[in-house]
Amino acid sequence: MMLSIGVPAPEAVPSQEDLAMEGHTWTLRVCAMGGEQATVFARQHQFRVGAPVNFDRTDGAVSALEYVLGALGSDLVNGLQILARKRRVVIEQLEAVVVGELNNPLTYLGVIGETGHPGMEQVCIRVYLASPEQETTIQRLWQEMLERSPLVHTFQAAIKLELSLQVIV
Amino acid sequence: MIKAAGEDVSATQNERRCFVDQPILVGAVLYDPRVSVIWEIIRDFFETNHCAIDAVFYTNYEIMVRALVQGHLDIAWNSPLAWLDAERQLRGSCRAIAMRDTDRDRVSHIITKTANGLTGIENLRGKTIAVGAKDSPQATLIPLRWLQRQGLEPERDFQVRRFDVLVGKHGDHVGGELQAFQCLDRDEADASALLDLNWERWTRDGTVDPHDYRILSTTPLFDHCCFTVRADFPQEREQEFLRVLFTMRYDDPKHREMMDMEGLKAWVPGRTTGYTLLQEAVEAQHVFDEHPS
Repeated sequence: MMLSIGVPAPEAVPSQEDLAMEGHTWTLRVCAMGGEQATVFARQHQFRVGAPVNFDRTDGAVSALEYVLGALGSDLVNGLQILARKRRVVIEQLEAVVVGELNNPLTYLGVIGETGHPGMEQVCIRVYLASPEQETTIQRLWQEMLERSPLVHTFQAAIKLELSLQVIV
Repeated sequence: MIKAAGEDVSATQNERRCFVDQPILVGAVLYDPRVSVIWEIIRDFFETNHCAIDAVFYTNYEIMVRALVQGHLDIAWNSPLAWLDAERQLRGSCRAIAMRDTDRDRVSHIITKTANGLTGIENLRGKTIAVGAKDSPQATLIPLRWLQRQGLEPERDFQVRRFDVLVGKHGDHVGGELQAFQCLDRDEADASALLDLNWERWTRDGTVDPHDYRILSTTPLFDHCCFTVRADFPQEREQEFLRVLFTMRYDDPKHREMMDMEGLKAWVPGRTTGYTLLQEAVEAQHVFDEHPS
């Protein structure tokens, strides 16, 4: 039976993953695991998250804030990788350094007398890319990636987002 | 409601119970969120030793002292200036119950560049001295009082270049002190004031080259921070807090990290005999005039 591409066969039962993504929403489950940590279940994957913000550099869990910063950086890095493959642009090396600041971390700790808020104030992301391609090609790829980035569009409306690309010859 | 001491205590002789229903509220001024990590460790230590405490953080000493005076806090981890403020506001009805060994018998130095040829305090007449924040006991109040005792009056006999970094935190951080040294380093001052511990640390880590700088004068001994309670803080709660505090041992690997982070090798009983020089400074420099009790 010929089916239009993208239309599931009537007898196929939608999976949990399909249901989770239906209507372009994503549903994750977050469960407290004790020890002030939570496990996030996303489709068939899971990962552990620690405190919202952590000031102990030796703490064993990735904080929620670090996940957000990592997600932003990954959005750029993976966004570039995905587009590069589609546009057949060669990228030899690619990485980003993400630096985030809160408006006032002391308010997260409930310090009496402090002003401001514990939210993010600014994120600076510097992407380093090595490629044999022409710089103009890389710049076009970068611009297209930014235009199509869900997290860049989300965060640039809320905080100061400084994004830069350094092409390494 | 506080349970009377002895209620619900197990028959076991060695077992302790410390008012779990009402943790002892300990206040501290927080200038750096990383300091909260130390307090979490201390809190867990007390919890393990059956004496519940809750740390309450304040942005400056003025509001923390007010909280202590008004009874919102049981114990305040006070700077020496905050101790004097609490004593003033409570009209002496307070106690210094504990301090670090490193809070006792400190000095401050007035340092200068070796090359500028200054040999004594008298050489500072007509010169500029860089100091820390206006409320820093160790980097401003005590050194200036020391000079006053030697007959050198600030702004009359020498210029003061002050670095008011994080005023309200009584120089807990070293920002103002470091900036004062950097001012000297740039030849914008002839001398600067700093705590002896910072002189030791900075000559060790390269911030200050001990060949290029020398100590011109050293203040008399003074004491630093202390745990402060109001006079009406129940003795049994105070004793329970101190019992746990004094069980910390530097030779216990489980305690050492915490003690290193707090900068001590032992907790010792509180005393107030080391605040005389600061008290003089407070009066001579009218520190509390803006905040009458």
